[in-house]
Amino acid sequence: METNTSYDPSFAREVFENVDSGEEIKMCMQCGMCAASCPLREHMDYPPRQIFSMIRAGKRDMVLNANSIMMCTSCYTCQVRCPRGIPVIDVMHGLAHYAISKGILTRKDTAVFGREFWQQIYKTGRIDEKDLSRRYFFADGIITGIKKSLQMARMGIIMLLHGRMKILPEKKIKGIKSLRSMLDKAMQTGKGGSEV
Amino acid sequence: MKYFLYWGCSLEASGVNYLRSLKPVCEALGMEFEEIPDWNCCGASVSYAGANDLAIKVLNARNLALAEKKANYDIIAPCSSCYIQMIKVNHEIQENESLRERVNSILAEDGLAYNGSIRVRHIQDVLFNDIGTEQIKRHVTKPLNGLKVAGYVGCQSVRPYGEYDSVHNPVVQDKLLEALDAKPVPFPKKIQCCGSGIFLPEMDLCLGLVRDILDDAVSHGAEIISTVCPMCAMNLEMYQDRINEKYGTDFDIPIVYLTQLMAVAFGMDLKRDAALHHNVIPPENILKAAIGN
Repeated sequence: METNTSYDPSFAREVFENVDSGEEIKMCMQCGMCAASCPLREHMDYPPRQIFSMIRAGKRDMVLNANSIMMCTSCYTCQVRCPRGIPVIDVMHGLAHYAISKGILTRKDTAVFGREFWQQIYKTGRIDEKDLSRRYFFADGIITGIKKSLQMARMGIIMLLHGRMKILPEKKIKGIKSLRSMLDKAMQTGKGGSEV
Repeated sequence: MKYFLYWGCSLEASGVNYLRSLKPVCEALGMEFEEIPDWNCCGASVSYAGANDLAIKVLNARNLALAEKKANYDIIAPCSSCYIQMIKVNHEIQENESLRERVNSILAEDGLAYNGSIRVRHIQDVLFNDIGTEQIKRHVTKPLNGLKVAGYVGCQSVRPYGEYDSVHNPVVQDKLLEALDAKPVPFPKKIQCCGSGIFLPEMDLCLGLVRDILDDAVSHGAEIISTVCPMCAMNLEMYQDRINEKYGTDFDIPIVYLTQLMAVAFGMDLKRDAALHHNVIPPENILKAAIGN
């Protein structure tokens, strides 16, 4: 544990400028309600409170490599309890997006799953659950893909038998071309996230 | 009363029993639905991995704009993730003029614009506030006779805005269950998250969350668990085997949608309207015993 932490504002500035909702951490008073509220708190290396403090202390690598920023279940418990009204989830998602865009995949499965999810929306406008699972399983190559598929095969068959899987592939929405140009424009003009 | 029904991607696949039961129940209650033309996915809770915030806002603003162009009905989003994504962007656009202009400059790619005139509602909100429990009671022909139900609220159906129910101690689902003559059991984990959209990639961690929820419901006497979210339903129902294997537990409790229970209590067909045959852990026997069939 470092005892003489000096504050380095350069990373905080980077976060305010480039990370979606990053400037919201200015309101944090370090009470720890977010950490206590999180369903996955036991598995996090640094809970949100600590992440916000580390941003101010300039701990760039520790923050961007923290497992917690990619572990948010988006349950909004921290957010409704935060006495300073910080949209904690938006900040965590913003940090995760920023880290992933820099090639940091601390929770690789979650990052890959989320990216596949987004790519499918970009491709067709909608999500095809079975196709999403297949792409996610095979994102790491064919061997891992077969292994992961076999682990989930029983569940897949059960769902198919109970009519809870779409047989036909998802068709593209009619406005897919214009949707894509909208999303391209948003990705180009928004920040790592966007300013609000 | 007319509404847009934005059912989203899951309700056509893993959550098909939600959509199939919701439609006849709501129609019986006098609601009429229109589809938002050419709607797209809401982005759910994991798109941030690939998209920035503005892109996710645009995704939802497109749906809102398409709805507004067609009619001025409220949008009902039965899936909690669709609901939270859409209501969040709606509030932000309504409250922030510069954001609205910015989003509209992007929607203009397809000649669209959103002026912020639409209301986004959860199905529980509409059932409780527009229809009301008295009206629902009048449609109950096969009361559930004190069936002990754990009404699992989860997270995104009430948080963060709490537009129609408390974010800390929600009661609406329990009141709706009471209107069917079911007996909602108190269980504190009813607002704990099940892992939601990251359940699949973080399964090792999330199995523990679901175990805690199931354990809380069962130990408070629940015979069945109701839910209003396709992710909750999936995560609570499909992984009970794995949980039993991992933790040495013995869970085998049916997970049904609130609308399925309503269809049963309204005396509708158990297959065609209540869509019970889509459930993997069969709820038929428990429900037939409750209604005295």
